[in-house]
Amino acid sequence: MLGVMRAAVVGAGLAGLTAATGLAAQGAEVTVFEARDRVGGRTRGIEVAPGSWVDAGAAYLGDRHTEVHSLVAELGLKTTPATTAGASRFTLGGAGGRTRPGRFPPLDAVALGRMFDLLDELTAAVRPEAPWLTPDAAALDAVTAGQWADRHLTHPDARLFFPLFLGEMMAADPADVSVLHMAFYLRSGGGLRYLNAFEGGAQQDRIAGGAHQLCERLAAELGDRVRLSSPVRAIHQDEAGVTVRTADGSVRVDAVVVAVPPALADAVDHRPSPSHRRAGERTARGCAVKVHLVYPAPLWRAEGLSGWSVNSEGPLLSTVDDSPDAGGVGVLTGFVTGGEAHRFAARPAAEQRALAVAQAGRLFPHLPEPIGFHVTDWVNEEYSKGCYAALLGPGEWLRHGPRLTTPHRRVHWAGTETSTEYFGLMEGAIRSGRRAVAELLATY
Amino acid sequence: MSVDGVTDIFRRVLETAEVAPGSDFFALGGDSLLATRVLSAVAREYGPELSFEDFLLAPTPEALAARIGCSAS
Repeated sequence: MLGVMRAAVVGAGLAGLTAATGLAAQGAEVTVFEARDRVGGRTRGIEVAPGSWVDAGAAYLGDRHTEVHSLVAELGLKTTPATTAGASRFTLGGAGGRTRPGRFPPLDAVALGRMFDLLDELTAAVRPEAPWLTPDAAALDAVTAGQWADRHLTHPDARLFFPLFLGEMMAADPADVSVLHMAFYLRSGGGLRYLNAFEGGAQQDRIAGGAHQLCERLAAELGDRVRLSSPVRAIHQDEAGVTVRTADGSVRVDAVVVAVPPALADAVDHRPSPSHRRAGERTARGCAVKVHLVYPAPLWRAEGLSGWSVNSEGPLLSTVDDSPDAGGVGVLTGFVTGGEAHRFAARPAAEQRALAVAQAGRLFPHLPEPIGFHVTDWVNEEYSKGCYAALLGPGEWLRHGPRLTTPHRRVHWAGTETSTEYFGLMEGAIRSGRRAVAELLATY
Repeated sequence: MSVDGVTDIFRRVLETAEVAPGSDFFALGGDSLLATRVLSAVAREYGPELSFEDFLLAPTPEALAARIGCSAS
């Protein structure tokens, strides 16, 4: 009988707010605890000019992201196509910057094709709804993507491009993920081509005005049920219910939805202790730092360039034109991923700026000094511990996979890392929130 | 070894039967990633290792077959 049910949701990202909204709609008494002083989790907006916002976190969506699209429509928001027209810039393997039509890197096309053939074979073999049951799962989960590449990629161009590709696709250093996780991630997101593509793929659109508005609007509807700056310290269960404790006090509820990344879910004092942790020693942080360089206009377009670049030397391993739909300014977004993200994040702010501005200047000639500069370091973000998503290293899928969504008594799990569909994406987060609602509806 | 063979490669890579000898790869939803897979299949089945430039100049099965020198057979 949900009419009298009391529920707590831990985390006001997309998963938690989706769950809270769904439970509230069923008449449950819901309290959402958010550690930060803002909602949104791994979505966050930056106002780069008055009324013009860019995405400091999750940004893109495609047609297959049906739950994001429904939410966008329900909340009265709109999507806007990502802009990709024009030529690309590449700085690869010690060669100077080169301009090429479309997104073709100046590398051996057959060698890249063979690499994608191998990746496609791995991806096609995965059981997406239960990767731990994939044929040869144990063998695939025993080695890292880096070890796999050392063994299977013989052409230097494939070896150069592979870590850049993995950085773009899943913000992973090849040494951090098992082959099973890599194959699962690519499959979960719709396959190699879909996950890689802008038009007709997972980067087709952005949300006009910023993806952070999804959570802001959900939170506005939930009103004072959302408590900011309230990190949950303890979740103690007994026969009759659950006590959720923050620094300021506690609430007593019938059930809890924990909608935070695995390492953060483990950091809560759970009593009784779950029989298994959510993250293991080989679960790594998604390695992404996002850099925004703001110019008076998207000046590269006048030179026939799209703003897209791929570079084997950092810090900006790829760049993309993220100029707000509202106009006014031009925004070049730089992605610093994999090991480069850790190195870049450790530098002083002035050095980060100098390196990024100089690199942008080499990539896109005739750029003036930027009028705005923003670095969003997700790797060291206390209440995300990485982005796009947790990276499962060797052994983790076999150990944690079978209990990915199994409730711990009255505690249910959500978050994009609990969704085998579109794992790591906004779509996965929303789907996980909806699943948690269904679980509570069926149980209480 | 023929235009038919290259058309078949396009069909497999694009996962669509709607490929004619004169169909443009990009108009059918092809992109740079899929183009590399056409070129790896061409190399595997016919030998020649073509470049992105070759492909951009010959983005249809008949043009690509001509480029790999197999259109006559």
